[in-house]
Order: sequence, then structure tokens, then C-alpha cells
Amino acid sequence: MRYDELKGADVGKTMTTILKTAAFAVAVLATGAAAVTALNRDLPDFAVPAGPWQAGSDLDSRAFHVTGTVQETGAAMPETVLSFVDGQFQSSRCQVACTFGWNEYQSFTEGERIHFTATTRCPEAPFTVVWYGTVVGDEAQIAGTWTVRRWYWTHQATITAAEGSLVELGTAVSDG
Amino acid sequence: MSSAQQPSSGLGSVAIALRIVALIGIVVAATWAAHLIRDALDLTIMPASERQVHRAIMLGSVAYVGLLALPFVPGAEIGIAMLTPFGAAIAPLIYAATVVSMMLAYGVGRLLPISALERLLSFLRMRRAADLVKCAAPLARDERLAMLLDGAPPRTVALALRHRYLALAVSVNIPGNAVIGGGGGIMLMAGLSGIFAPVPTLVAVALAVSPVPLAVYIMGG
Repeated sequence: MRYDELKGADVGKTMTTILKTAAFAVAVLATGAAAVTALNRDLPDFAVPAGPWQAGSDLDSRAFHVTGTVQETGAAMPETVLSFVDGQFQSSRCQVACTFGWNEYQSFTEGERIHFTATTRCPEAPFTVVWYGTVVGDEAQIAGTWTVRRWYWTHQATITAAEGSLVELGTAVSDG
Repeated sequence: MSSAQQPSSGLGSVAIALRIVALIGIVVAATWAAHLIRDALDLTIMPASERQVHRAIMLGSVAYVGLLALPFVPGAEIGIAMLTPFGAAIAPLIYAATVVSMMLAYGVGRLLPISALERLLSFLRMRRAADLVKCAAPLARDERLAMLLDGAPPRTVALALRHRYLALAVSVNIPGNAVIGGGGGIMLMAGLSGIFAPVPTLVAVALAVSPVPLAVYIMGG
């Protein structure tokens, strides 16, 4: 066998080994990722009570400054202003954190109590926030969940004991 | 057994019991310290911080897989450092990363020619790892495994060869195995030996590295 044929055979063997090693690495990584995803326990979003929900309009042109607690940690949730404009809803804190934008909300009225709900998703990250609240006069009671679903974990923060007070539309929250 | 040997055997049992108690004490103290550190760090994951945390976790995982797969490089600490603040939520990722890392080291040992591996480790200036491979190069396959049990009685070596997957699982878990190459070094040698089939090796490794992440996952869940 000539030298260049021998050299070609060596190169071919090396390439095969490299390809085999790379294929093995890809298979191992894919199996690992699949196993992690399979072990990842999902957490359900906030269960919004059933009701005669309709496209929101009952709270249009109103805004509420909201403070509350994160159930899992007991820490104060970052304060936010929930705004309602033309059937659309926005949380100022969510907007700053992940540009959630404006999202449709639903509502219904039960006597003096207005119920509302909105499900918002961040376009830049796998975040889902489900809001549910009741408004009587100028006061609001708020609940909900923020859930992040990555391939390797699902993390959730539950908003609890949150109260809102009416503020002017366009009010900004402090950085606190 | 002669009567002269009995007292030392009894003393040996007491010493083993004391070591186990000391080990449990260390584990309890480490757990307590981990909780203190977690509280002090106050790593509350919120929408504003989650993406940074995600990037840090991905970077940490890549570093963990890479370092743990290298012989004589202690990488387990990164895994423990990630388990400490994030607990059960991150346990499946750490577990899978550990198995992946071990299997990558095994795959490299099994597939790459030993001379190429030695050159690669020398190029990376990993002299101890290169020396390990260099020593293993002229040996027969069984002798490469026996190399990991250097100094052990021949009966122990024979037993380890007969129950090699069990021996592999035990050696990966033995505290202080960094002296013989650490998890990465052991798996590299297992691959080089050529006497470990991929699937049983995967099963052995998956079981061997499961206790800590599984305990965190179950207790934290």
C-alpha cells in the first residue's frame, strides 16, 4: 500500500472515531436532557373560580396599586400597579421585569363586586402570570401565580394576601 | 480466628461505629450550614431575576459536566454549590449532569485511541491525568482496571473484576477517590479498559450517583 493511501486510511479512521465520539456525546446529552424533562414536576397555574366570564370592560380606565406577600417565601411581593384600559390589562412590575405588554382581561359583576382575571405571558421567557381579583369600590383583593417553566425546572410564586387601592391611571411604582 | 485477634476486631467495630457517627454528624452540620447559607443569600427567584439565575445555572451546569469529567479535577463541589441554594428544584438537573459527565468520560476513554488521549491531556497540561493514561497504555484490559485498585490484595482485585459494575459504582462514590483520578478519572479508565459495556455502565453510574440528588429531590419535594 502506498504512503498516501495509508495516510488516507488513518485520516478516515480518525474521522470515524471523532464522529463516533461526537455521536456518543450527543446521545448522552440528549438522554440526560430528556430524563431531566421527564422528572420535572409541573405546577398548575392559579385556579380561577368559575363564573360568567366575559371580555373585560368593567374596570376600564382604572388602576390599582397592589402590595402583597409571596406565599412560598413569606417575603413581600414587589409592589405593582395593575392598569385596565379598553379591555386590556397590564402589571407595571411585570412590564419592567419581562415586557409582558398589554393583555386582554375578563370580568363579571356580582352585586357590587367586580371579578376580573387575566393570563399574561412574557414573550422573552417562559413566564406565565395568572391574575385573579375582586374589586369593591376603590379596594381590590388580588391573588394569582407567577410560574416559570424551563426544561429542567418549574418554579412558582403564589401571590397571597394582596390588596390594591385605587390610583390614577399612569401612576408609576417606586423601585422598592 | 485466634483469641489474640478478637480484641482488635472489637476495637475495629467501635472505630467503624465512631466513624459512622462522625460522618452522620458532618452530614447534619453540613445540611445546617447549607440552610444558613441559603437564608443568608436570600436567593428568591422572581420575574426580574429568573433569567439571570437561568443563565448562571446553564453556565454552572456546563462547567460542572466538563470539570467532573476530567481526571483529578474535583467538580462535585459545583453540584453541591448548586443544590444548596436551589434544593429539590435543581436536583434532577444535577443528577442528570453528573450521569452525563461520567458517561462522557467513559465514552472518551472507550472511543478515543489511548495515545490521542494522552496527547490531549498533555496538551491541556493535565500532567497527572496524562500520566495515568500513560501508565495504563501498555497494560492489558483487566490490568487497567486493577490499576485503580493499586495496592489491594489480589483477592480484592479478582473480586472487583468479577463484580466490576458494583466495584465501579462503589469506587465512584468512595470519599477521597480524587487520589485515583476522581469520578472522571475512574470512568475514563473504565472506558479505556474496554471491559465495561455501555448499557450496564450507564445503569451502574445512574444508580451510583443517585443517593444525594434523590435524597434532596424526595425530601425537598
